[in-house]
Amino acid sequence: MNACLRQLAALCGLSLRELFRRKDVWVVLALGLLILAPLAELKPYGIGGASRHLHEIALLLIWVASAFIAIGVAGRQFPPEFEHRTIHPMLAKPASRTTLLVGKYLGAWSASALATGSFYLLYGLFAGVKMDLWFPPVFIQAFVLHVGFLTVVTAFSMLGSFCVTPAANLTVSGIVVGGMFAFGEHLEEMTAGHPAPIRALAWLADAIAPHVEFFDLRRRVIHEWGPVGADVAAAVMLYAVVYAVACLAITGWLFRRRTC
Amino acid sequence: MDAIVLDHVARRFGAVHAVSDVSLSVRPGEIMGFLGTNGAGKTTTIKMLLGFLAPDTGRVRVFGADPADPRARARIGYMPETACYYPYLNIRELLNFYGELCGMTAAAIRARADRLIPQVGLAGAGGRLLRHYSKGMLQRAGIAQALLHDPDLLILDEPLTGLDPLARIQFRDLIRSLHDQGKTVFFSSHELSEAELICDRVAILKEGRLVWLGACGEIAGDGGRNLERIFLNLLTRTESEAHP
Repeated sequence: MNACLRQLAALCGLSLRELFRRKDVWVVLALGLLILAPLAELKPYGIGGASRHLHEIALLLIWVASAFIAIGVAGRQFPPEFEHRTIHPMLAKPASRTTLLVGKYLGAWSASALATGSFYLLYGLFAGVKMDLWFPPVFIQAFVLHVGFLTVVTAFSMLGSFCVTPAANLTVSGIVVGGMFAFGEHLEEMTAGHPAPIRALAWLADAIAPHVEFFDLRRRVIHEWGPVGADVAAAVMLYAVVYAVACLAITGWLFRRRTC
Repeated sequence: MDAIVLDHVARRFGAVHAVSDVSLSVRPGEIMGFLGTNGAGKTTTIKMLLGFLAPDTGRVRVFGADPADPRARARIGYMPETACYYPYLNIRELLNFYGELCGMTAAAIRARADRLIPQVGLAGAGGRLLRHYSKGMLQRAGIAQALLHDPDLLILDEPLTGLDPLARIQFRDLIRSLHDQGKTVFFSSHELSEAELICDRVAILKEGRLVWLGACGEIAGDGGRNLERIFLNLLTRTESEAHP
């Protein structure tokens, strides 16, 4: 294996090992059980509307838990390294700061994707057993786009970890991601009748904030509408990659300027 | 080619001159002690040698290359002053991680770890997580990770802190064996007697300035008290000059 790939694999493996060794995996399991709780009420041949409602709750819990894990894991990749000075022996090794950043990012991303994947697996198995809905294509697509969401959120939270304190980063990232998730697609109509400065602020938020609502296929899963077109999905994934690369480029610039 | 070259190096943090116009060179295979009081600028100099910090003025070279270049750092082993490593790893996992960062293969890391772990006295602690290590054991782990990729130059920041007398003797023997292998060692310390016993040359830093540089052979004997006298003379002289 190429030396750079080995370095990336080492950094990524460290983040995953941390997830297990710090017992975070129990948090993931507890959240998984919480997600399954509403689905346990599902009954075959039950009332369609009620079933959809329970699906909606379970999927919302998956999104909330997944965002919480992604923001938390990505946000704590670097601050403890600086605080405990474990960054020094790492920087002294023949790895560039870009490699360290990308490796840490991939570690946070894969840890979040692993946790989210386990939620989807539990959800899919439960829905299959209870309703005979065995991983329909829209469900698979929803998971793939959810991974796109994680691509954006981990990069955003990692950038935040270089700008503000860990607690502030958790709060700000949570508010931005939650806010965009809830109101992102309505920003323009919400500010239509307002004065120009407010519209300008909304335009700025629209341009800068991560459009996490692009990745949300919950309604399609709940109402069994089928997957979106491949071109749309590809465009959304491209947005995720471009947004993450932009965030990582700024983070890399901050990391190189940072005095260690 | 010299292992280390510091050429009129200076570094400021705001109004504080951490390092001012320091010039010195370390020959390959030499053991150089870097002494000074707290806040003298030792760690700042070491950070510049590792490429963590860029000098404001002057030039830093390690084996002729800029230490900010990762390829130059492949020849450096560094042990930090504060022995903090990932508490959820054991020593083998820690060495695996650092070995992979150095681009070593799994087989090479295993072979090197098999030699180093007993050499630094951690053979009995192989499976224990680092969070259960004492301060001295963490220092030993720090030495092991610094030596892992068999570097040509070892930079050790206060390596004797937290080591018991037996570990100090083992450390001294280890440095001598590295010297016999032709390795260059640059270490900062407060331990004047240890420095006099181990080092070929000693540099003394005071308030960011290099105030003395000499061979230990010139001042040998008297159980390390000669260096102590020189050190104290330098401090009192500069202080009396500053406050007549």
